[in-house]
Amino acid sequence: MARGLLVYGINHHSAPVELRERLNVPEEALAQRLVELLEVPGVEEAVLLSTCNRVEMIACCSGDVSRGELLHKALLADSGVTPELAEPHAYQHMGREAVRHLFRVASSLDSLVVGEPQILGQMKDQYLLSHGHSSTGVVLNRLFHKSFSVAKRVRSETGIASKSVSVASVAVDLAGKIFENLEGRTALLLGLGEIGEVTARQLLSAGVERLLVANRTLETALELARELDGTALPLERMAGYLPLADLVVGCSGGGQLVMAAEVSAALKERRHQPMFFIDLAVPRNFDPTINNVDGAYLYDVDDLASVINENKGSRRREATEGEVMVEQEVDSFWQWFEGLELVPTIVALRESVEVIRTTELMRTLDKISLDEESRERVDQMTRSMMSKLLHLPTSVLKEAGGSNEETGLLSATKRLFGLGDPEK
Amino acid sequence: MELAFLQLAATAYLVSALAFGAHVLWSVKRAASVGPLLLGLGFLVHGLSIAWRTVDSGFVTVVGFAEGLSFFAWLVAGAWLVAQRRYSLSVIGAVVSPLAFALTLAAVILFTGTRAVPAELMGPWLPVHVSLAFLGNAVFALAFAVSVIYLVQENALKSHSAGSLLNRLPSLEQLDRVNFTCLAWGFPLLTLGIMTGGLWAAAYSGQFWSGEPREIFSIVLWVLYAGLLQLRFTRGLRGRRASLATMLGFAILVLAYLAVNVLPVAGRHGGGVLS
Repeated sequence: MARGLLVYGINHHSAPVELRERLNVPEEALAQRLVELLEVPGVEEAVLLSTCNRVEMIACCSGDVSRGELLHKALLADSGVTPELAEPHAYQHMGREAVRHLFRVASSLDSLVVGEPQILGQMKDQYLLSHGHSSTGVVLNRLFHKSFSVAKRVRSETGIASKSVSVASVAVDLAGKIFENLEGRTALLLGLGEIGEVTARQLLSAGVERLLVANRTLETALELARELDGTALPLERMAGYLPLADLVVGCSGGGQLVMAAEVSAALKERRHQPMFFIDLAVPRNFDPTINNVDGAYLYDVDDLASVINENKGSRRREATEGEVMVEQEVDSFWQWFEGLELVPTIVALRESVEVIRTTELMRTLDKISLDEESRERVDQMTRSMMSKLLHLPTSVLKEAGGSNEETGLLSATKRLFGLGDPEK
Repeated sequence: MELAFLQLAATAYLVSALAFGAHVLWSVKRAASVGPLLLGLGFLVHGLSIAWRTVDSGFVTVVGFAEGLSFFAWLVAGAWLVAQRRYSLSVIGAVVSPLAFALTLAAVILFTGTRAVPAELMGPWLPVHVSLAFLGNAVFALAFAVSVIYLVQENALKSHSAGSLLNRLPSLEQLDRVNFTCLAWGFPLLTLGIMTGGLWAAAYSGQFWSGEPREIFSIVLWVLYAGLLQLRFTRGLRGRRASLATMLGFAILVLAYLAVNVLPVAGRHGGGVLS
């Protein structure tokens, strides 16, 4: 039976997070799971991919593999999830589809956030782990290496990863459109929300020099200030520090803390150096009319969300270019994969006919006496007969490579010419 | 030959303007490098046209409306080239290229060939005054272009309609800084232009100031730009207001130029195309 490629699993498109988290394979269990997978009849090579968005098995098989067994060995194992619960969410891709699926996953075209970079790293780690346990062979080694290079190509030749899609990185991007650079700037953080902290960290790593942390309870502000090498101050005294701040991040639960008039005054004191207000709090910390003050730029969560949405849209548009690249690479991989079986069959066919030709030729030439020149002529004649006979079958086989006719033609050839399995 | 080069330059400017438009407005990636390249190329060919005339007549002549427009357009493109090299702000070309195209096209349409300079106007001050005055105007034109980009970018930021336009334009601070740099160069050039003009006038008529419209406009401009710089230093005038004031200054400059050259006003700065 022909060798085939198979992907079996669940992902964020097919299964809810409750199921995904129950089926997630912890890293330490991966090795054991691979051993069990290779025991499934027909599975020759296998890699298990388990991230928070997907649990998938990629396998190279010979012959049919029982779906039920895959379900148990690849997905369920000892998770306690019943087959009835998991089965409807599982998908299976075969042949070219499986290759395309893997390339799309690696290129982050199949990710929840298109273009996110983590998936490639996770895939590399888990492939190396499988490789280390000798569960991969010629086919999967080549398939995974190819998928990494496809991912690299998609990433560098399209813009799928060029636009920010998180609140903190969008805030940094916007700051870069107001200020020439963030080096030497001062950021003022109001309140201690998690999102505010993430944003503050990102601003610091983008070059912001001083961080002021204002909070109602000074102790908690001190804690974060110490950690981020900033200065803590009580929220009541925040207004006095406003003119120092180039960027003001609001994530306090205290409601409206900064009014437009205060910003006008601060700007005057700053000689109208621009100020960027990032309001991450709900209810909002900054008076919305601050945005009307000359030199002040205000973005609240909704404004940031709409930028994120737009960037996601742009990533999706870029992704269509990525799909085209994936398609080309699937073709080239598939050609190689098909050749794995096609070429040995054609070689075996030629060899078996050559054996017949030479045996028959010898037998005949032994019986009749011919001069050297005539012997050569007879030899030449049998050669051209053979190559004319084989020409059509060979070219039909080559043309069928990659099409759905191929498997049928290959097994027909083997049967008609008694070739057996060329690999054995 | 001079006209052929001029037509070629106008074409380069036009294609450059279209490429800039395609890149900035519709984010056509392939057009990104075409705009700057053709604007630079246009500058070179345009330079050949001016060089041809200079060799032909033996001196830097900017006599007549068409030549003035052509010389001005060439200097504006040149000022952009310098700014682009120094601040890598090639996107300003999106405003500079259509401006250069419009000016050069007008120069092509109004082209008259070499005209002799009236003998009494000749003198050592002529090329100095003309070059300085035009260079100052070109730098102000660049400041105008920077201000336009500033207002577009500021509008994008304020309206939160952000989008991809935002990504292709430089930061407000950088635009503001380059605007100020342009004013800081343009103002002394304007001052020197006025002074050399006065010296030239004094040399042939004995009168430093004759009160013709061009002189009055120049003084108005000088006061405006002086005020702009003064407010910048003392009150930190910057950003949107500074950009609007810069654009106002350039509008006055253009009006003055057109009024003096097109309307039938007598004076040494133009006989008046309509007269």
